[in-house]
Amino acid sequence: MSGTKPLEVRNLKKQFGTLPALCGITFSVEPGEVFGYLGPNGAGKTTTLRIALGLVYPSAGAAFMFGQPASNASARQNIGFLPGDLHLYGEMTGLATLDFFAQFRPASPPLLRKSLMEALAIDDSTLQRRVKFLSHGTRQKIGLIAAMQHDPALLLLDEPSNGLDPLVQQSLRRILLGFAERGRSVLFSSHVLSEVEAVCRRVAILRQGEIVALETIDNLRNKVVRKLTLKFRGTVPSLSDLPGVSRSEINGRDAVLWVRGDLNPLLRRLAEVDIDDMVFPEPELEDIFLSYYQNA
Amino acid sequence: MLNIIRRLALRHRSFLLACGALLFVFQVVVAAIIASLDLSRTLEGFLVFAPPAIRAIIEQTIPGGSTAGILAFTWNHPVTHALITAIAITFGARAIAGEIENGAIELILAQPLSRMNYFAAQVLFALMSMAFVIFVGLLGAVIGEHAFGLEPFALERLLRLSGNLLLLQMSFYSLTLVCSAFGREGGRVAVLGVLIAIVSYLDNVIATLWNKAAFMKPYSFHTYYDPREILVNGNLGTWPLAVLGVFTLAAIGVAFARFLTRDLP
Repeated sequence: MSGTKPLEVRNLKKQFGTLPALCGITFSVEPGEVFGYLGPNGAGKTTTLRIALGLVYPSAGAAFMFGQPASNASARQNIGFLPGDLHLYGEMTGLATLDFFAQFRPASPPLLRKSLMEALAIDDSTLQRRVKFLSHGTRQKIGLIAAMQHDPALLLLDEPSNGLDPLVQQSLRRILLGFAERGRSVLFSSHVLSEVEAVCRRVAILRQGEIVALETIDNLRNKVVRKLTLKFRGTVPSLSDLPGVSRSEINGRDAVLWVRGDLNPLLRRLAEVDIDDMVFPEPELEDIFLSYYQNA
Repeated sequence: MLNIIRRLALRHRSFLLACGALLFVFQVVVAAIIASLDLSRTLEGFLVFAPPAIRAIIEQTIPGGSTAGILAFTWNHPVTHALITAIAITFGARAIAGEIENGAIELILAQPLSRMNYFAAQVLFALMSMAFVIFVGLLGAVIGEHAFGLEPFALERLLRLSGNLLLLQMSFYSLTLVCSAFGREGGRVAVLGVLIAIVSYLDNVIATLWNKAAFMKPYSFHTYYDPREILVNGNLGTWPLAVLGVFTLAAIGVAFARFLTRDLP
């Protein structure tokens, strides 16, 4: 048995014909956590979610939701899911769509529907229209409400910001943080790094079916190679043996250093010379992400 | 499961009502035509000039040109088959391949709904839909017979007919469902279903009319459905029911096994 973690994935492998989609991935989502699942298109994010939901069968390994195997329908009782490629029934109205999905869980009434409608800026009259006449963004909002209206203990969101305008994206982030505050768990799958950075404390980075990093965002930031730009007052000292510097470029009195790890030894050495200016920007997850992909 | 059936009923209500209405009208119109003509004489006159193949078909399907024979023939008429087989093939193709194609199955099966319940809902809905349309058609036949003063068939014979017809159409449904369980595109599966139905119909017609092709007769589903024998003579053997029933169950079993083990979408 796997305990009571909202989601646990163990040594998951999936092969589509001769094409390996997942090569033995292991991770878990903790209660009250918004977990980022990052990777470019085709990395295996959607396949992982589909296995977790019992839609796709793994070649090896297993996925558990609240300790139950993914193929068990009752394991999906307390979850919400938004697929990356959302398709709703066009002939149904928005309201009928929400009711249709609510009816799958008669014991969990859609208590959050109203508040989600307000937060995602969708009104009653919009819900009276047939889905096929709604914009992509509005359909996405309806998909999100359908996934969250019953206040699930685990939310699986595959590229949830697709088609949402920036204001609604912000609202969505607030909603997800609210879920986490109430002890709910969220798996946030995306290739948009900034949105993951905004809501997730921990992320897994997926590359060609393998998890290449499974860390808190803070730890990842510490691992990234950062660019330090310096303007020296006098002659540029020798930079070749500076601790933590992997590469340097000198142009007159200007120098650019690529730095990784603990900064203190470097700062102590730099304190020995006069410096006019120093630029050391906050590491972006983008840099971390790209560093993993460039190392591929 | 009820949730799925309710949605299917709402989605397809116009299609089902249209099929039912057409079958109803067809039965009433045929009854009206039969009542207004001297059939034996009309048929005799027609057969004199008809090409041999057409003459053979008419003599095979409407022996003696009796009113009961012609009324029974309406239940083997291409219009009747087309209307009900259209339901069988459409619903069979859409149940799995169609839902994969339109992308909806991913979200549906991510709900606390087992594949078995989803599958059962689809089969149950198709069965109820075809039973509904057949019932409406029978109603048309009964009303037509009464309205135009034709001798009505016994209720027992009508019930036997509807059971046999339902099993025939369930055979087409289940075969289409097998294709659907292996496929990903509803349109292609539907085309395959239509081809199977046409081949089965033609197989039966050719094997009936042409002695040298008689060996083909057991391979047609339509062989195991004979409305004239049921309505005129009151006979419905267990063999046709067994063949259609066993085939339907086996095909549904294969479709279910495949649906249960395949990756979706």
